[in-house]
Amino acid sequence: MSVTGESLRRFLLRWSGVAVFLAAWEVAPRLDWIDPYFVPPFSTVLREAGVMFRDGTLGMHLVVSLWRAVAGLLTAILIGMPVGFLLGRRLVGVEQALRPILTVLSQVNPFSLLPVFLLFFGIGETAKVAVVSWVSLWPVMSFTITATRNVDPAQIRTALSMGISRLDLYCKVVLPAALPTIFTGMRVGAGLTFLILVAAEMLGSSAGLGYLVHNSAMNYLIPRIYAGATFIVVLGFLLNRLLLHVERRLSGVWEAGAFVTGPAGPAGAARLPGPAVSVAALGAVLIFIVFGGLEVSRINREAASYPSEALKHFGHIGQPVDR
Amino acid sequence: MGGTNKESGHPAWRHLNKLSIVLFLVIWELAPRAGGLLETFIAPPSLVLKTLVEFYKSGELAGHTAVSFFRAGAGFVVAALISIPMGFLLGGGYRPFERVVNPVLGFLGQVNPFSLFPLFIIFFGIGEVSKVAMIFWVSFWPILFSTMTGMKGADPTLVRSARSMGAGVFTLFFKVILPASSPAIFSGLKMGAGTAFFMLIAAEMIGASRGLGWLVWNSQINFQMPRLFAATVLISLLGLSINGLFGVLERKLTGWHRKSLDGVR
Amino acid sequence: MATHGDGTHKEDLKIVLKDIGQVYHLKKSADGSREFQALKDINLQVRAGEFVALVGPSGCGKSTLLDILAGLTRPSSGAVYIDGKEITGPALDRGIVLQGYALFPWRTVRRNVEFGLEIKKVPKSERRGISDHFIRLVGLEGFEEHYPHELSGGMKQRVAIARALAYDPEVLLMDEPFAAVDAQTRETLQDELLRIWDETKKTIIFVTHSIDEAVFLADRVAIFSSNPGTFREIVEVDLPRPRHNSDIRSSAEFGWVRHRIWELLQSRPSQECREGGNIVVKDAISPSATI
Repeated sequence: MSVTGESLRRFLLRWSGVAVFLAAWEVAPRLDWIDPYFVPPFSTVLREAGVMFRDGTLGMHLVVSLWRAVAGLLTAILIGMPVGFLLGRRLVGVEQALRPILTVLSQVNPFSLLPVFLLFFGIGETAKVAVVSWVSLWPVMSFTITATRNVDPAQIRTALSMGISRLDLYCKVVLPAALPTIFTGMRVGAGLTFLILVAAEMLGSSAGLGYLVHNSAMNYLIPRIYAGATFIVVLGFLLNRLLLHVERRLSGVWEAGAFVTGPAGPAGAARLPGPAVSVAALGAVLIFIVFGGLEVSRINREAASYPSEALKHFGHIGQPVDR
Repeated sequence: MGGTNKESGHPAWRHLNKLSIVLFLVIWELAPRAGGLLETFIAPPSLVLKTLVEFYKSGELAGHTAVSFFRAGAGFVVAALISIPMGFLLGGGYRPFERVVNPVLGFLGQVNPFSLFPLFIIFFGIGEVSKVAMIFWVSFWPILFSTMTGMKGADPTLVRSARSMGAGVFTLFFKVILPASSPAIFSGLKMGAGTAFFMLIAAEMIGASRGLGWLVWNSQINFQMPRLFAATVLISLLGLSINGLFGVLERKLTGWHRKSLDGVR
Repeated sequence: MATHGDGTHKEDLKIVLKDIGQVYHLKKSADGSREFQALKDINLQVRAGEFVALVGPSGCGKSTLLDILAGLTRPSSGAVYIDGKEITGPALDRGIVLQGYALFPWRTVRRNVEFGLEIKKVPKSERRGISDHFIRLVGLEGFEEHYPHELSGGMKQRVAIARALAYDPEVLLMDEPFAAVDAQTRETLQDELLRIWDETKKTIIFVTHSIDEAVFLADRVAIFSSNPGTFREIVEVDLPRPRHNSDIRSSAEFGWVRHRIWELLQSRPSQECREGGNIVVKDAISPSATI
């Protein structure tokens, strides 16, 4: 009883600040403390969001952005993890030799590469997915390298003493042991992804949440800007929490007692997702990629058929378009 | 396993390490000469260098760099000036107050800055203020949070010893807490500076008419690859130098921190 | 009383270590030499079903020797023969139990124990029965579906033992397995180990820091000295068995053997020099040969 009372109190305390913030947001424009043109009250923003949700705009742009993010992340994982494994354990010397280049490349400002990608891949989806992949590739690969190197040597020694094959060693020992850290790398990559995706969508796209915000700004649809921005925030937050949750569950099984379960009992609470769940999750991601991709190309084709719309976003905000 | 150490096992490769950058440059130089796509899209280092020199001579280089630095610098400095004191206030304080305010701050700090950028432009217009405001926003949070962490992380035993010697509030703050939290603050400053520069480039791409970011974007639109590469290289070099500069400062001013940690270990 | 015995018959020699030496090449070392000799002139013959303990200070190469026995490292010189055949690498005829348990944290107790069976390609239907048996043997019945982080140190060590035994190796190599648990648990585990050894009749080579542990567990104790690592002497422990669940640790004979070994580990040259295929006496005083 006291446990739930305590956590309830904490919950309320945490969100009270947000509540106050939202209340201020609602009241201040109405009382003209802030110019309501520039900062519409929260309820107006919510209403606008509702409209966008109902007429499908929000859903459409959300799917596009999410699809790009997932596709990019997936590519980064598909490339970064195997390469990271190799460089981490097998080709240690190669990794040492390449390290300076890899470091430099990973630190090149991805925004300055954005135009290169756009030129190379054209205006289509490939460019955006490529940028996202590039940005998340480095953390995934780097974390994978570190993770595979830091596997408990005692575990490896034990497995080797049984005469285990190299493949089995990697699949049964190195991979599971490295997984939590690799996951952290994915999470860092996801964070960067989100950041750069919005920017990329502002710069050269006809769909997606970034485009939504940018476009609303150029048409001075201010409530929409806020709605879009809030939505991006909420989405980013949820995504991060989701990944954190999965990461904690994985680490919880790995580390002795490091699992923070909350009110639920300690022993027996940390369980690896069974094979069924993992396969289902993987399947869901794949389905999303395939069908999402089809949807995205449909959206792009439609958007392209509105030429004035398509040209507009290449201009800078407030700039004449032909610059 | 046994006595083999994975890290030290490849002395030959380690020397290759230094050569690798040279190798990279060589490949970069030769690749475009192979013609085709490579030639169209990649400008070799020699050309990039030439372009940079021309830039410098025409004064364009100085102009754009100055603009970018000004925006980033102004935003960063203002952010530091406000966030550090705020961090002290918030970090040193009253627990329930913290519990209420922190989630809001955390939330705000996670807002994708790009989604706010159009707002800034609408508020502040197209001029310099909107960019500076953007940089301010972006560097504000890391410095604030690091300062708060530093404040909280100041070793309580140090505070207690100082108080037992009769130190007053001001002395306590300036002579104990401030120095004790300076490593964290510095690390926050370093991160903030890096983020500031990073974001600046993006901001200049999206809505500016001068500056290094604009230069990159403009080169792309006009398909001037040497110019694009030159600007990119310059941005990377500057980014690295900023990071390096802060690193040096950090080591000089808070070197004691790392050394004392080693002692504890 | 402690004597160095021979009494080995060629037919039931399980393990033979012959002239093992291990040299590491370093880039530089304190005195400028480029080589470090970790092991030198290691000779040992172990009977089937015997329990041999290796005692010595840290860093004298005990773990290296165990690695060589496990086949994880090739010795610079000499060879190891198991059942008369020279070993060429790690294999399932030897099991290893390390300090710090080295359990796979993402696998349940059962799946940890079954690890070796998976490598041995034992079909799934059989695995369960085998793992059940060994989990029961080490006294962890009921904990099959628990994860390592839910277990105490002593329990984890037992899982490690079960895992090493499950695929039925003939030889068990143990590298200070009880060093990471508290003193009480340690004594319990020692008792358990002897009970398990009684039931399974494996040949065990047990590396430890603790003279008490060595005397309690072993038939013979090989005393290591370092720099270079080599056997100073091999002492036979003539105490009666069974020793587990008894008060033998406080008996006079125990103390005598213990003292003898302790003496040998001090920087005192050995007074005697014996011939024999499995005894090497080191005259040089090694300054680090203290515990």
